Parts: sequence; C-alpha cells; structure tokens
Amino acid sequence: MELSLQPDLMEKLAILTDAAKYDVACTSSGVDRGGKGHGIGNSVAAGICHSFAGDGRCISLLKILMSNHCVYNCSYCQNNCKNDLPRATFTPEEICTLVIQFYRRNYIEGLFLSSGVIDNPDHTMELLFQTLYLLRNKYEFNGYIHVKAIPGADPRLIELTGYLADRMSINLELPTADGLRSLAPCKSRQTILRPMRQIQNGIRHSHLLDSHELMTRKNQSVCHLPEVIRLSSQDPYRKRFVPAGQSTQMIIGATPESDYQIIKVAESLYDRFELKRVFYSAFVNVTHNSDLPALPGGPPLLREHRLYQADWLLRYYHFRADELLNEAQPDFNIYLDPKCDWALRHLEQFPVEINRASYQTLLRVPGIGYLSARRIIAARRTSRLDFADLKRIGVVLKRAIYFITCNGRTMYPIRIDQDYITRQLLSDRTQIPREIRQAGYQQLSLFDDQTFLASAQ
Amino acid sequence: MYTYICDNSIDGILTGIYDAYADRHPLHDIHLSVSEGMNLSLFTQYIEVVPDAHKAAKVANTLKSRFGQDFYETIYQAAMSGDVPGKSAMDKADAIFETVALALASGDGTKTLLSLGEPCVYRVFELCRATGREAMHLLGFVRFQELENGILFSKIHPKHHVLPILGDHFSDRLPEENFMIYDENRKITLLHPAGEHYFLADAETLDIDAVSRFSADELRMQQLWITFFHSITIDARKNPGLQSQMIPKRYQQDAVEFQV
Repeated sequence: MELSLQPDLMEKLAILTDAAKYDVACTSSGVDRGGKGHGIGNSVAAGICHSFAGDGRCISLLKILMSNHCVYNCSYCQNNCKNDLPRATFTPEEICTLVIQFYRRNYIEGLFLSSGVIDNPDHTMELLFQTLYLLRNKYEFNGYIHVKAIPGADPRLIELTGYLADRMSINLELPTADGLRSLAPCKSRQTILRPMRQIQNGIRHSHLLDSHELMTRKNQSVCHLPEVIRLSSQDPYRKRFVPAGQSTQMIIGATPESDYQIIKVAESLYDRFELKRVFYSAFVNVTHNSDLPALPGGPPLLREHRLYQADWLLRYYHFRADELLNEAQPDFNIYLDPKCDWALRHLEQFPVEINRASYQTLLRVPGIGYLSARRIIAARRTSRLDFADLKRIGVVLKRAIYFITCNGRTMYPIRIDQDYITRQLLSDRTQIPREIRQAGYQQLSLFDDQTFLASAQ
Repeated sequence: MYTYICDNSIDGILTGIYDAYADRHPLHDIHLSVSEGMNLSLFTQYIEVVPDAHKAAKVANTLKSRFGQDFYETIYQAAMSGDVPGKSAMDKADAIFETVALALASGDGTKTLLSLGEPCVYRVFELCRATGREAMHLLGFVRFQELENGILFSKIHPKHHVLPILGDHFSDRLPEENFMIYDENRKITLLHPAGEHYFLADAETLDIDAVSRFSADELRMQQLWITFFHSITIDARKNPGLQSQMIPKRYQQDAVEFQV
C-alpha cells in the first residue's frame, strides 16, 4: 500500500481495522435499551449480526483501534513498538463520523474501540474517554459501545469511561502469569486484574442501586414489573455502569499451557470476576518472533473450537471444569466434543428416561441442548413423548439415541458400552471435525494419543 | 365439506375463522385456504371470504382475552409467513384454524401451543419460526442508502411478510430519520417520516429513477464500509463456505459489501 505522510480517512480506516482484527470479541449483546424518541440508536439484548467476514466471523461492531502507535513490546502483537508497519491515529471526531454514518445505514450495531498505548496508559485512556463522551453527548448515540480498558490506566478514568460504555473489557492475553511475563513484559497480572476487579465492583454497585430503586417503585404503585425495569433503563438520568458486563480474551497456542489449565482459568474468571464471556483466540503468527511457536499447521482452530464448546458447557450446562478434564487427561478429545466425551466416561448415569428425568439430567445428554430440554419439559405436561416427538422438538437423535429411553425403550437395540457407542458415534462421518476427516485414513483406537501436537498434520 | 378461501393476510384469515364458526358447520368438515383452489375437489363447497376488519377484530379480541397476548402474537406471526415447505405442508390458514379450534375446545387454551405433537400446532410453530428467523436476519442485513433528498432507502427480497417487524425496530432505532424499506417481492413499501409513526403503502407507483440518485456522500461511505469489510478478515482463517452458510446468497444480493 502506498504510504502518504498524512493518511486520509480511507487509509486510516484500512490500517486501523487491520490492526484491530485479532481482538475477537465482537458481540453486541447484553443490553436491551429502547430508543429515546430522539437522537439515534437502540440496543437489542440478543445482539445483531450485520455481516460476516471472509473468515466466517460475525461483523457486528465497527472494530477499530484509536491508534496503532504503541510503546509496549508484546511479542505476539503486530503493533508492538519493534515492528515496522504504517502507523496512524484517528481523531475523536473522525471516529464519531464513521460510527454515526455507518449506523444510519445499518452497517453496524455500534463501536468496538481499543488502542495501542500512545505515550502512556493514562493519555490513551483519556482519548478513548473523549471519543465516547462526544459520541454519547454531542451526537446523541444510543447504540452499543464496547471499549477496552488499557492495563495500568488510572482508576478514575476507567470509572468515567464505564458510565458511557455498554461493555468494557481488558484482555488477559495469556492464561498464566509466566506466559504473560515471557511474551508481554510491559504488562503484568496486576495491571490487568486490578481494572477487572474495579469494573466488577462498579457493576455490582450499579445493580444494587437498580434493585433498591425497583423496591421503592414497587411500593409506590401497582405497576407491571417488566415495565418498571424498562422505564428504569430508559431514564436519561440513570447512569448505568457497564450494563452489558465484562469480557476478556486469551490467546490459545502461543504458550505451552494445557487445555485443562486454560479452562480452569476461564472457570475462575467466571466464578470470581463474574465475567459475561471469555473469548479464545487461536494464535496466528504475525510477528515471527523467536519466542513464539512456528505453528506450521496453521492456527489451532480445532483446539479453539473445543475450548468454546467447553466454555458453553461451563456457562449453560452447569458443568465444572474438573468434570471435563483433569491432571491425567489435560487436553480435549479431538474426535469427540467435550459433552460426548464426558458422557462416555460416565455411562453409569445413562440411559436417561425422557419422560421422567429432571432438567439438569436432560442437559447432560449429548444431543439435547438447553432449548430442547426446556421444550421437553413443557411438552411432557400434556402428553407422553416418543422418539418422533423428540425429533420434532429438535433433539439431535444421531447422538442422543445411545443415551436415552422413551417410555422405557431405546430406539434401537444398543449396548451401553464405551467401545460400542464410540465406534457408532464415529462411524458417522459428519460427527467428526473437518480437520480430522481431511487428515486421511487412520485406524481409530481409544488408546491413541489424543493430545494436540503443534506439528500434527 | 366446506373450504373457505381467505385473503392472504391476518385480516383475511381471522375473518375466515369468524365466518367458519358463524356458519355453524361441523368443525371436522371445515377447511380454510389462502391459495386459490388449484385442484377443485368434487364434493367440496368453496366459499369466498371477504376480509372484514370488524369481524377480524372480534376474533382477535377473543383470542387475546382467552389465551393471552403471546398466543395471539404467535398466530399473527404465523399468518405473516410466506411459502414454507414442510413434511406435512399444511395450509397456513388451515393450521391456524385448527389450532384455534383446539384451543377453544380445551379447558385451558393457553397451553395449546405447547402440544407440539398435534400437526396443526407444529405447523403454526414452524411458520412462526420461519417468519421470526427471517426478521431476525433482516434486522442485521438491511442496508440503507442515502438518497439526494436525504431519505434513507433500502430494498429487500424477503420470503415472508416481515415489514411490520422491521418497522417497529427501525422506528425505535432511527426516530429522526426519513426512511423507506421496499419489499420488492410483494411490492409494498414501509415509509417512516421523521418523528412520526411508520406506515405501509402500495409500491406500484414507486419512482425507480428517484430512488437511484444517491447523495454526494453516499458513495464515499459505501467505499469506507467496503474497505472496513475487507480489512477485517484474518487471512489465515479464510473460510468462504462458512461465510456463505452464515449469510445466505439471497441476503448477499442486497448487501452493498457483497456487490462485486
């Protein structure tokens, strides 16, 4: 690309979008906020996907860096100070123009704003705050804003910015403190976890104020509860701190941690910091630094996929990390998803009788998701369910038939035996991940080494 | 055997239900249909239903008061669906009529929509889901273009009649904008003047020329968006199959970033 001394808006956008793309967080979910009748924008709790990029990822927000100048020297990041590439910085007004004009045309749900560290964390955080302030107050933007907190910034700046954003996040980057120290010496666990704790406390405090207001309003008049909540969130004087919660991101594959260590870190983040989401980003080697693995097979996409599957099990299916993995088996099964894998190791709990089992038990059956489990419970009230009904409800019978009975009978005669069920599951080629299928013929055995090797393919 | 031919709209179907009950034929002999009878059956009497707003309102009020707002909204959304192929492929009006009949006959009609075992209830569920899914997709895939006179114009080709759902959403989101959404499949336009409520209008007299004149800034904004769209892809993870799966080709034709 031609370099000009004063890059125009188009060039800046190209540079700063390219610089932001490895931050995979891009949901616009978590806040239901109706329009105010003036200004522009609203927010839908489920999030809205506006487009899909060439790599298949959802495009929901205008994901940009304020600047890709950076004084830090993190090995994995293409924007580190040692790297030679075109640098640019947006002005707050330019960002506001882009956001409003894209939003009007329904290209985006809102803004995702991060930045390299310009001079020092406080100066950078101030610039981010300025941009958000302009957007919310001068342009009356009521859509979704996800802003990154800069590690090491002053707590007062973080607090002020939190009242303007919907989601605020700070990247953990590497799962362990050792990993962070080796690849990103300018950051430390302290500078990352302290703002995380501050945001968590701010959110808790904001919720307490909300419930207090709810109780006093309830006592005042007979009002329909949901309306009260809606009113409270539309109240222009109500300032909510980071209403869509916090998230974070970890890079997978840049350091030698096992899946067990990563999923334990994610679990403790959910338990102790009350995060909404943890994102896993498969490591893409852009800097070709000597302390980073070469990864000739490309980024570890299957491993990232397994981690997301396990993450869903932690959040929606009430699993604990120790149930999925342990010291003896520290990495996920590459052939089977974590839920099937758990079920096969705990066959004493199956088969489950569909017409009698509790919601918790139904959730644990491979092929039954939380929507299907809810529908089963609802449909059970009026009639006894049969396999045909289950198919209509949306249960994946290909997997579930080995683990359930309807009215005491299984669909086909089966043996509740680990080898048998595994062979049946894997004989269906669609159940095997694409990367394994394309690896060519391999004799399967339960005793195979199923850990991920960097030079696997 | 009596078949009532209804207009393909919520008013038409509700009037059909009113007439079917008013004429007092045995319920198992009654069918409703939204399509003109292609294959006429020998022993069936075909009755044309003229949509009547009062009759439809009466039926709607009965449904709302006896079975709740959720039940009514599900029926409404099912009525907005277009062509939904399915194994049973029951006619839209017929499925709605049988569901309503089931609910009226049972003790507690509010639970009727949960008994997915009944073919008519399952069909209503399928139709409602199809419309809901398309509306959810279009909330993201609608693209506006700024015309010379400042109006935001968008053209869509939906399979189902989703304009009311889009209207609610965008009126809330862009209260101060003048915008139009043109459904080219049904030739209806949704119009929203700034600060007012939206309304639907017949688009036979749409001036094609006027809606192709963009404002001065429009092309530049489109270029910026396309630049952003291409810059955000991580080349090491390129996956065109996944991209086509997530945004099917029929939505890509109206999205500016996919125009070659």
